Amino acid sequence: MTVPRARSTTAAALAAAALACACGLPDTEYFGQVPDVSDRPRHLRFCNSGEPEGLDPATVSSTTAMKPVYALFDGLTDYDQNGLPEPSLATHWDVSDDVRRFTFHLHDKGRWSNGRPITAHDVRYQVIRVLHPSTASVNADGLEPLKNALLYNRGAARMVLRDTAGLRAGDVVEVLAVDGKTAAAWNAADTSPPDANVRRGSAPLALRDLGAPVADAYATVPAGADVTIVELSGDPLRPGRDTWAYVHFNRGDGVYGWVPYAELDVAPHAGVTYRVRVVAPRHTPGVALTQAQLETPDPPRPAVDVAGADVLMLPEVLGVRVLDDHTIAFETTHPTPWFVSISNNRVLRPTPREAVSRWPRRWTDVAHIVTSGPMRLVAWRQRDRIELARSPTYWNQDEVKLDRLTIFAMDDQSAATNFYFTGGCDALTANHVPASYVRKLKGRYKDFEINPYLGIYMTITHTEVFPSRHFRRALAYAIDRTQIPKFLHGGQVPTAQFTPGVPIAQLSDADLALCGVTRDTPGVAMLMITGELCYVPPPGLDFDPEKARAELELARQELGDAFPSSITFKFNQGNEGHKLIAEYLQAQWQQVLGISVTLEVQEWKTFLSDTKGGRYQTARFGWIGNFPDAEAEFLPMFQCDSPNNRARWCNPAFEAAMAEVKPIRDRKARLVKLREAERIMIEDAPIIPLYVYVQLNMQKPYVRDLSPNFPDQPPLHEAWLDPTWRQGDGPDGRPAP
Amino acid sequence: MIRLIVGRLAMGVVVLWAVATVSFFALRAAPGGPFDEERAAPPEVMRNIEERYHLNEPVLVQYGRFLAGVARFDFGHSMKRQQTVGEIIRNHAPYSARLGVFALTIAITLGVLLGVLAAHRQNRLGDHAAMTISLIGISVPSFVLGPVLIMVFALGLFWLPPARAEGFSSYILPAATLGLIYMGTIARLTRSGMLETLRQDYIRTARAKGVSERAVVWKHGLRLGLIPVVTYLGPATAGLISGSFVVEKVFQIPGLGYSFVASIQDRDYPVLTGVLVFYATFLVLLNLAVDIAYGVIDPRIRDKR
Repeated sequence: MTVPRARSTTAAALAAAALACACGLPDTEYFGQVPDVSDRPRHLRFCNSGEPEGLDPATVSSTTAMKPVYALFDGLTDYDQNGLPEPSLATHWDVSDDVRRFTFHLHDKGRWSNGRPITAHDVRYQVIRVLHPSTASVNADGLEPLKNALLYNRGAARMVLRDTAGLRAGDVVEVLAVDGKTAAAWNAADTSPPDANVRRGSAPLALRDLGAPVADAYATVPAGADVTIVELSGDPLRPGRDTWAYVHFNRGDGVYGWVPYAELDVAPHAGVTYRVRVVAPRHTPGVALTQAQLETPDPPRPAVDVAGADVLMLPEVLGVRVLDDHTIAFETTHPTPWFVSISNNRVLRPTPREAVSRWPRRWTDVAHIVTSGPMRLVAWRQRDRIELARSPTYWNQDEVKLDRLTIFAMDDQSAATNFYFTGGCDALTANHVPASYVRKLKGRYKDFEINPYLGIYMTITHTEVFPSRHFRRALAYAIDRTQIPKFLHGGQVPTAQFTPGVPIAQLSDADLALCGVTRDTPGVAMLMITGELCYVPPPGLDFDPEKARAELELARQELGDAFPSSITFKFNQGNEGHKLIAEYLQAQWQQVLGISVTLEVQEWKTFLSDTKGGRYQTARFGWIGNFPDAEAEFLPMFQCDSPNNRARWCNPAFEAAMAEVKPIRDRKARLVKLREAERIMIEDAPIIPLYVYVQLNMQKPYVRDLSPNFPDQPPLHEAWLDPTWRQGDGPDGRPAP
Repeated sequence: MIRLIVGRLAMGVVVLWAVATVSFFALRAAPGGPFDEERAAPPEVMRNIEERYHLNEPVLVQYGRFLAGVARFDFGHSMKRQQTVGEIIRNHAPYSARLGVFALTIAITLGVLLGVLAAHRQNRLGDHAAMTISLIGISVPSFVLGPVLIMVFALGLFWLPPARAEGFSSYILPAATLGLIYMGTIARLTRSGMLETLRQDYIRTARAKGVSERAVVWKHGLRLGLIPVVTYLGPATAGLISGSFVVEKVFQIPGLGYSFVASIQDRDYPVLTGVLVFYATFLVLLNLAVDIAYGVIDPRIRDKR
């Protein structure tokens, strides 16, 4: 998930300085005006951190977009006040013994805003949508654990339709080459391979909802035009007269729809040769494996040639099965104990096929949208605000406290905070208060709060430029992290550990016991499941000038003439804090190690491109998790083939440790192994963690039940306003709800 | 006159083509793409995205596709937002235009007043006062003036909203911020134009004939004295109406200026090129309007052509 970058400008600093010095901050309990809300107790005005890029759960990816999207679309589970999954469309779920099959049981009360019941088929449709190449979703890798997910996403997982070339009907195969050329070869030639899923009708095709008469068609495909089959109704191996095909017609914005399968009577690429092989047992849908089988490497499988007519790309190749209208099962390749943690993610929030099919890129327009969540869309003024109102069709009306929710798109941190100050909005969450304001607000106003956030701020070291482990360790030992919050003033949690968490000193006694630490243990711990699971990351290379110099000496002996006397450090524009940190690192490395550091500032996209392309020596970087799980969200970036491995660090011992984690079914045993892997990484210092991110939250004293949580996904619809807050007699002056 | 207009329009088409082409290639030459984020997508995911937006095609093919669109004034779909470029312009340009018109009204009214006052009282107290005000207007950047105005009128006095475009009152502070800058320049241009005009023979004649001082200055003098201002108004109007990034950001006005800068930061190729061509069209038309206005104001210019 991407987080809006802090775009504080000189203007922000100036406004803050002016506000603080010239006027003097008002000497009140709360920051700015506290308007009277007795005329709108059920209307929350929320300052969001910018304009959402869209409202389609399948394609949006920013935390900014999640606020309206999660209010509009229900999920199998939803976020509770702590940011963890709680039952929503699903009442409960079962996990198989091999931890590779997750069965969710849905209740029958869910309704779309057009009145249609929400069923397991809707959830399956969302999975297909997110993964199908024609959707081009940036979120496809969010479903990566599902069997054959990414293979399907690149059009390379197909189902065999009849017994041929030693394959059996129903086999799932992986495509190795089309017409003798691999995907890479097709790619290099700037073309796409012919797709056997393409069909034509010798007569015009009337696209419509499944089973609808021709008169209800909403689009017509001309005779002879290409359409692509996405799925078939009924058993694909035995298509009959009543079989329909769901096809994609790619012209303009595109359109999807059902037509009787028999009408697709021209198959232009039936003669194309596919070189394929059967997928391994762990990738085969419907196959459970024992522990011994899990740990066995995949058997060799021969490659054979088949005709295009005999293989179709169908959703049946994926690890998702609808068992009945209210039961859906997901199958993963490896044991995936954290699968339930993604059940509230956007990739598993169903979207309405009837609307998406008609307007694939425009269905979230106010005129077309069909929603399932507690709120419905009333108006969307781009870059200004989104107006939501209580949805009368939502199944759980008791939980919805709001009749109306206004979400303002505030790109600018100062403007958001100023707007809050004058009472324009009731709350703002996430990192949306300018750093220059923070030091004036901290500890002074009751409506300002600093909370930990699921992200780590670090430096990355290009390990091919600096292959010496000793050199990298010297850099890590030389930084005194405790100084950072003193000049950033934002309440950041200094850390030498990689996986972020809450400071151990702040944990409750019960959580201390759960994490197996004592209160005086230094560092942080990540609470993964309340009362059940805790991960304490291994200690990092914390500030120690003696060790730093000793490591540097070892590096000098090891490298000889190749010892680098100076290094460059890259950071991106847009945040004053990055510059302050860069200058601090420069001073520390100079003072402790005598290494001269050149600083280089870059525009954001250039910075991303350069760090990804390896055109840097050392650089700042940040990493935010979607949910608290080191294995799923944090450590994969250090694997050799990860697109996020900017340090270009590739360590066989780490790879082996991560591979050993995969088959383990017991979660605690998994964490023990995972900790070993993280220790290998942190000891080798491809990155240097600096601090755990925090979120800055403000809410007026009359706002109730809006609790900021670790992944910054507060359930907005559960909030409400209390006009009588001044007469409160509850704890800290608030009446008990 | 007709020949002038046709000639200018033909030239304009060439300018638009040049703007479209340069912006197309310049942005693609910049490192990073619209879909580069901290969390990089796996290659298969990236490939689907590139195919959808034709980013996998050779650049010249993309350019051909782009030019064909430009010829129909169809700039395609934003790569980062769910709207088309046309919708983005239609949604956001009105805010910029409204803000620009308010700012321009402030700038012209105050600027011309100050300029005439200064010229009329040359080297006296009125002149110095007017020119000091205009100098402040020119030299204080909007990212300073804006926050100061917010601090005083929004956060201090609670008279006006600090941000967002909601009703007339919310435009006052941003329009003032933007207008005061242009006011300074207009005042200086008016002053120098008026000084020159007031020394002309025909002004002396008018005075000799006993025309009142007010009529001399406002009727006979101002008409010619405004020529430099009119020249400046072409580009100034284009700049004002097409949106100011800084003022729109500071005050959270959802105008086109902000979308434009965001499209550069996001590498949103279609939006950037579309908005640039829109701006360029605007500028070409305004310059043409200025040329026509010269003729209206000063018949001698019209006759020379």
